[in-house]
Amino acid sequence: MNIKSKLTILVAIIFSLSFGLTKISYSDGHGGGMAVPKIEVTTVLEGMKNPWDMAFTNDGKAMFFTEKLDGLSVLIGGKVHKLIGMKGSSGYDQTADDLFSYGAQEGMLGVVLDSDFDNNRILYLYSTSNKYHGDGCKTNFERCDGNIVMKWTVAKNMKSLSNRVDIVKDIQFKPYASDQPFGGPGAHNGGRIRIGPDGYLWVGTGDRHRGICPQDNTLICGVVLRIDGDGNGHGGNKIAADKRIYTYGHRNVQGIDFRPSDGRAFTAEHGPWHNDEITMLVNGGNGGWDPAEKRGGRSACPDQYCGYEPNQMDGMDPAVRAAYTPMSDTRFDDLMPPAWQNNGYSQGTGSAAFLKGANWGIYEGRLATGIMGIAFGDTPAGSRIDIVDIADNGLSVKSVIHMPMGMSNRYRGLVLGPDGALYVSTDEGGIYKVTASH
Amino acid sequence: MKSFYLVLVLSLFFVSKSYSNDIDAGNERFHKNCHNCHGRAGMGVASYPKVSGLDSSYIVDRLNRYRSGEKIGANSGLMIMMAKKLSDEEIDVLAAYLSSIN
Repeated sequence: MNIKSKLTILVAIIFSLSFGLTKISYSDGHGGGMAVPKIEVTTVLEGMKNPWDMAFTNDGKAMFFTEKLDGLSVLIGGKVHKLIGMKGSSGYDQTADDLFSYGAQEGMLGVVLDSDFDNNRILYLYSTSNKYHGDGCKTNFERCDGNIVMKWTVAKNMKSLSNRVDIVKDIQFKPYASDQPFGGPGAHNGGRIRIGPDGYLWVGTGDRHRGICPQDNTLICGVVLRIDGDGNGHGGNKIAADKRIYTYGHRNVQGIDFRPSDGRAFTAEHGPWHNDEITMLVNGGNGGWDPAEKRGGRSACPDQYCGYEPNQMDGMDPAVRAAYTPMSDTRFDDLMPPAWQNNGYSQGTGSAAFLKGANWGIYEGRLATGIMGIAFGDTPAGSRIDIVDIADNGLSVKSVIHMPMGMSNRYRGLVLGPDGALYVSTDEGGIYKVTASH
Repeated sequence: MKSFYLVLVLSLFFVSKSYSNDIDAGNERFHKNCHNCHGRAGMGVASYPKVSGLDSSYIVDRLNRYRSGEKIGANSGLMIMMAKKLSDEEIDVLAAYLSSIN
């Protein structure tokens, strides 16, 4: 047994002791010649307010997690310590009143630790904030800087945060209700943040129900950012209008992760009643989402947003919607074609994480993708975690199978822990640990 | 007088039995697709509200209004679409089920 294997086992033992896990399901599909892993699901935490994302220290002793409606906490030594609360929250070490949630899609979303966290103690956090509204946000048809990325310093004992610096202040936000399904304020914020193999911070954003957003590039909405720890764009980013932008033309980026074999970035995106997608990103590339009215052969749309047209209040064949406002519009020469789309359906793609480590057997290197489950029209709900085997060129998939979870939930956040297990948060309020062995 | 009490007891029994059947039918209907948004046992998830423990007359009223196409709140488009397919009986049993749980 080499040192790495010993270390992995040690970290796994620390996790088990620290979190007091309760086994809730078990699926044994292995056997025979193929390395099909045994999948076991255990409860880490339950009873939370929309847990959205998790981040782990390298030694596996601490798990930071966000609750969309409440704030940021850390689980360490089997105890939860509440660190940063949003307005109206209670029991936190400190609260920040500019951070808020209406109880809809907005709130405290992504969390990730810096690649040099062990030395610099830096944690990044994505949230809705009213601090930078300024003169904007008076209507849905103007600039509204309402989502931010913060940088915090974590104390040695992990139980408090300090030195807040807002490194991105101008991610767009929807301030008012509009004439759309899911039409409330706070729609489509993106919010997933991850550290890439190059140590840069990647930030997924959403179109915030504004038609012009994804193809605009002077506004931070419907784009993926690649920035440094101070919020400056990576020098190699190719979008001239804003050097922070890596890709544009996205609808609502819910998942970002990096393929272990080559470091390529992939996003998982939530489709508009058609075509959830997984896409390999290309520097400067276009996701192909353009919900603006009076483009691509479309006429005017409700509140200048064609994202659910041509018939936004009734069920209809998803293919007809896809033809009217495609997720990946082939009008664009710089289109990044998706590697996978959900058989024409939108069932609500959540987060995604590549499975790393020999413990995952034949699933190693595949992308675990949460599907929350949305059943409109005649679309089946389909709550599940897919294991997607993406082709080397990133333009197709070789296979898709379902993770045998033994339960059905709205799978919102997926993160691979340092112990090689997949950690999954659900809208129902739980965080679960999915282990694989064979 | 004895026959009066017998009729009363039998009536209560059948009413109770019928109500219980409604709850069972409502449970089944709710978990056909409503739970996808409103969560198991109607506790609400994400931006979808809690619907368990509400008064049955309130649930019947809301579902009827959505079914007629009336907009009430930000997710009306979704609820109108879902409610359009509901029969009177389905609305009644959903109300019986949701009002019976917390």
